[in-house]
Amino acid sequence: MRVLKQAGMYLRMLLHRGREAQRLDAEMQFHLDQQIAENLAAGMAPEEARRAARLSFGNPVVVREHVREAWLWAGAERLWQDVRFAARQIRRAPGFALVSILTLALGIGANTAIFSLTHALLLESLPIPNPGRLVRLAMDFHDADRPSSNNGALSLPMIQMLQSQSHSFSGIFGWSVYDFVLKDEGVSHGRRGAMVTGNAFQTLGIHPVVGRLLTPADDQPGGGPDGWAAVISYRLWVEQYHADPSIIGRHITVTDHGVTIIGVAPPGFEGVIVAEHPDLYLPVEFSAAISNNEKQLHRGWGGWLTAFARLKPDASRAMAQAEIRTLFPSIKTAMVPPSVLHLPAVERLTLDVDPARSGWSTLRLQYTKPLLLLQILVGVVLLICCANLSGLFLARASARQQEFAIRGALGAGRVRLIRQLLVESLMLALPGALAGIGFAWLVGPWMLRGLGSSQAEAALSVRPDFAVLVITAAVACVCALFFGMAPAWMASRTDIESALRNSHPCTSAGSAVARRIFIPLQLALSLMLIVVAALLGATVVHLRTDDTGFHTKNVAFYIADFGRLPQKGANLVALYRRILQQMEEQPGVDSASTVAVLPYHGWIAKSPFTAATDPKLSITRPSDINVISAGYFTTVGTQLLSGRDLRNDDSDLRSCIVNQRAAKMYFPHAAALGKILHEVDHNIASSKTSIRDCQVVGVVQNTKYDTVRESPPSIIYFPMSAQSYRLPNMYFAIHGRSIAEAEAAYHKVIHEMAPASPETDPVTFQQLMNDSIAQEQLLSALSGFFAVLALLLSSIGIYGLVAWDVSRRTTEIGVRMAMGATRPRVFLMILRQTTFLLAVGLAAGGAAAFFAARSVSSFLYEIHAENPAVFLVAAGVLVIVGLIAATLPARQAISIDPVNALRSE
Amino acid sequence: MTKPNDLVQGTLDLLILRTISLGPMHGWMIAKRIQQVSREVLQVQQGSLYPALHRLEQQGWISAKWAESETGRQAKFYALTPEGRKKLEQETANWSRLSAAINLVIEKA
Repeated sequence: MRVLKQAGMYLRMLLHRGREAQRLDAEMQFHLDQQIAENLAAGMAPEEARRAARLSFGNPVVVREHVREAWLWAGAERLWQDVRFAARQIRRAPGFALVSILTLALGIGANTAIFSLTHALLLESLPIPNPGRLVRLAMDFHDADRPSSNNGALSLPMIQMLQSQSHSFSGIFGWSVYDFVLKDEGVSHGRRGAMVTGNAFQTLGIHPVVGRLLTPADDQPGGGPDGWAAVISYRLWVEQYHADPSIIGRHITVTDHGVTIIGVAPPGFEGVIVAEHPDLYLPVEFSAAISNNEKQLHRGWGGWLTAFARLKPDASRAMAQAEIRTLFPSIKTAMVPPSVLHLPAVERLTLDVDPARSGWSTLRLQYTKPLLLLQILVGVVLLICCANLSGLFLARASARQQEFAIRGALGAGRVRLIRQLLVESLMLALPGALAGIGFAWLVGPWMLRGLGSSQAEAALSVRPDFAVLVITAAVACVCALFFGMAPAWMASRTDIESALRNSHPCTSAGSAVARRIFIPLQLALSLMLIVVAALLGATVVHLRTDDTGFHTKNVAFYIADFGRLPQKGANLVALYRRILQQMEEQPGVDSASTVAVLPYHGWIAKSPFTAATDPKLSITRPSDINVISAGYFTTVGTQLLSGRDLRNDDSDLRSCIVNQRAAKMYFPHAAALGKILHEVDHNIASSKTSIRDCQVVGVVQNTKYDTVRESPPSIIYFPMSAQSYRLPNMYFAIHGRSIAEAEAAYHKVIHEMAPASPETDPVTFQQLMNDSIAQEQLLSALSGFFAVLALLLSSIGIYGLVAWDVSRRTTEIGVRMAMGATRPRVFLMILRQTTFLLAVGLAAGGAAAFFAARSVSSFLYEIHAENPAVFLVAAGVLVIVGLIAATLPARQAISIDPVNALRSE
Repeated sequence: MTKPNDLVQGTLDLLILRTISLGPMHGWMIAKRIQQVSREVLQVQQGSLYPALHRLEQQGWISAKWAESETGRQAKFYALTPEGRKKLEQETANWSRLSAAINLVIEKA
């Protein structure tokens, strides 16, 4: 109660400060008058009475000061005074303020942009209750070659078995992202969505905005009580249905099946797989309806669902992991077909319990390390900014020595002076931070687009959100402290006497030394950034120009959606062949073919093979496989080295083509042509092992398969046949004179020959390539930008230092020139300081850059971290820029008229 | 200038609180009363009186009001608040305890 009263009084007095001051004066005057009256009454003469009263009263100003100090708001009043003074100072030097704010905006803005990316992708917790209790159950094949293959997904029976056997979880659910086609009132849209097990929403613990969410009752074959039930996202509800509550019970068509909308997910909920933004949620049983294959859904082996679970309140992740470790071997035995069970990869298989408070994402796998690197780089840029600003501030503070001296003489304590200067720094830092946030807001999406990864661009929003803003504000304050501290400290140590005595504001040795430390620091950091940027840039150049075994220009891929066509098996193969023939006859088409596995698409098909000449038939080695039509190599530009291409007829069904690496692997001592390869085929359904033969008819050059960075694997190519892998969904590869012509050809032929199948969107080979090196491109582009920024800031720093030096030494220069120094000599003298600083900066920077290069070596491709050329070029660039920055103000020095210089003293 | 040390400040607060516990007074009257009652021993300087009064007012032990004084002029009268009265009892008890202890030490030690 008392506190409230006090607070009230505090506020009241704060607002009526002026009136309170007046009243204090009146009160003291009253006291004085009473004393005078008393003195008069005691018999003193009026003059003496007044004098005696005043003497006994003491110094009224001091009394007033003491009283004011007793007032609670003294602190706030002082702060307000500081703020007003700082504002005046800023207004007096608007150029300086502008430069500071811009520098800070760049530094803080870059940090904010990167941090929002990092936050969105890596840190942001899911908007569910208790996200810390969510974990992901992931299978780990411990395959060093392909660490990201399969993404650790499980099958539905496996999840169900885990649910029934384990005791650490209050719920385990499966989640799979899927692209649906949503048709409502005749209008079709492709919508990204997710298929989830019935207990997913319950386990997550979220609540619908309207209607209800999916339950296990909806996850039954054929649908639940409402038939096939779907939940839509909040965004879709607002955008497409204008937040109409009567949407519950609405009938729509999803991928040719009737579905009822039963509810709307809460706003801000984007599923557990980060950056996928699903708009539609359906039960996993729906996948059986889509693929028309109920058995496939209940296959034990073949993971497609990402499994998440919520820990029970009394269970920890370690406990759950231990329990899973004991349970998994028996689950493995139950789920894995016996023929595969004893393969080394399956023996190594474990189930891991990973934390999942921020969900999971494949993007995360790709971008964690690059983002962390970028965060460090951008932090270095901010450091350079602060060093720059510190230098600027020191220069200004040294010019204000007289002011500090006077204030000190009047009684300002050191703390007061330091606080004043810190307030000035803060008053520049906060607008700088605001400008930086605005900068990040604008630049963020543009930055993402420049990534070139269509996936990342669609997925991530780089708009700063609340957590990011808070961090930015904190960073700004820390910066202000950082760069404001040096000049504040220096100002508080002013020697009052000497400063007041000097008519010409000179500088203390301290500030000069400090500035001379900052410049080499900035130069060293800049060199580091330039070297890193150069290395990353060279990496991208190598990735792009590396011989991948393909020609990617003007090649487009279209997926065929022939699942619902009447032709099956051999008839379908014949249809494909006819379509290809037609396509090649279209104008502008150079070559058309089909392929099952697209390069760089992230899909891997592998099979174990052994050479027929190999006596030990039991030892097989896996190769990547692909199914192609004739002419594929021509379409994508892979060179045929020996033998022939596949033929487009049934006679060739027992043939295969191998690449060089496969040839060497299976037939190390002889030519591969004409030899027989055994494919050891494990039929999962019948648990039987069969051996399929094929004869090698051609050898092609090595090409990449999955990523650009890998070394070319061994690949074996099979012709299309009725039993081919993914026959209804092969990709058409069309090489035309331009993408437009390829597209025209595709649409025309498909419309003619398979009008019942939906037409799909193309993906160009160039796009596939860009997507696969998107991460490296992002790193290279941004690190390059930061390097340029750092160079700019360093050169501004050097410019500032030299300009200040010149202005400080104007008199000295005037004297020298009057005494006969030639202009070139003066020029060199000014530059001498800069060259010294450059040398120190280069030396320190060289060492720092060396270590920095070593630490980013994992990002590099085909370029050595200790490549001396890179260091030399970087050093050269730095020296040139530094010298230019120093030359400009130095030229001003030599144009000084000695007479004017001496006169200005 | 240094701030008055805690002992002196605390004692002055006690004196002021006690003096105005008899009724509202303005600053001049408080100083005069203390001087009188202590038989001219305690002379409160204005430099310490007014800061003390304002501090006590800020802390809520006393309240102030502008009213007409006996000479007809406007003056600022200070009066004890209920919390102030409690504080006065507390401080008086503390003072008795303290002075008794000091007496013991002076006599016995």
